[in-house]
Amino acid sequence: MSEVRTLIVDDSSVMRKIVERSLRQAGLDSLVVFEAGSGIDGLEVLKAEHVDLILSDINMPSMDGLEFLRQIRALNLAAGVPVVMITTESSEEHVKQAILAGAQGYIRKPFTPEQVKERVLPLLRTV
Amino acid sequence: MALSLRDSVDLVSDPRNLDTSVEEVFHLMLGVNCTRYSGPPEAGEPESVTAVVGFGGLLSGACVFRSGSSAAMKIAAHMTGMEFEEVDDTVKDGIGEICNMLAGAWKGKVPQLAANCGLSIPAVITGRDYNLHVQAPEFKLYHRYKFDGAGFEVTIICDGLQ
Repeated sequence: MSEVRTLIVDDSSVMRKIVERSLRQAGLDSLVVFEAGSGIDGLEVLKAEHVDLILSDINMPSMDGLEFLRQIRALNLAAGVPVVMITTESSEEHVKQAILAGAQGYIRKPFTPEQVKERVLPLLRTV
Repeated sequence: MALSLRDSVDLVSDPRNLDTSVEEVFHLMLGVNCTRYSGPPEAGEPESVTAVVGFGGLLSGACVFRSGSSAAMKIAAHMTGMEFEEVDDTVKDGIGEICNMLAGAWKGKVPQLAANCGLSIPAVITGRDYNLHVQAPEFKLYHRYKFDGAGFEVTIICDGLQ
């Protein structure tokens, strides 16, 4: 697979590293990672960089993941780029909210690298 | 009819939910197996790391993770693949995230709770010789666990149930 420019948004730097490691274990060796600690920082990255994939936490200070997603769409940033939410919130209501806000995938924490592979790789094939 | 958890207290406070949540988080994120133990408390390290994630909504309270500094560093090492000699910001970040996942996994065991109970951002406290006290909770679960010889404790405190 060619270079995959990926934005990982999570207020935990440890979790950002775990997500990156899981993506590499899923076979995305040619990963170029941009990190952001909040939705606000994530928007700044998207204004400056082209990305192919966005993975975002939901529960974050300053701007949560759902608002981040709404802002991406409202500002017409990253059009057509798949967004996968990675979060501890697992109810159907949370999944519905994420899908309505424009997410294409949903991964519940804790997760395995296999789950990341199953949810992310099919989305990249459609890009 | 307003949603209520009052009739589901036994389900919400089922201690097995906490054990399953701890096993799941440690197995999936650290690749280790945890065992619960119930003997007398071991002589703890003077310095400890505590992470707190609050619950709000149908249930109010908190999930509290507490361990000695060496267990905290060991957990962070498993999460990151790095070695730690002190409880630095990365260790605190990792412990906060473990507590966040424990709180999320625990509330996810009860569907009504999963959908109607929010989680706060984790707060992490480090220090020596401190105790946690909650005035008259609705219920409290306090379990101790071990993995690779390192011990930690998880407490679920419910101080309000709608």
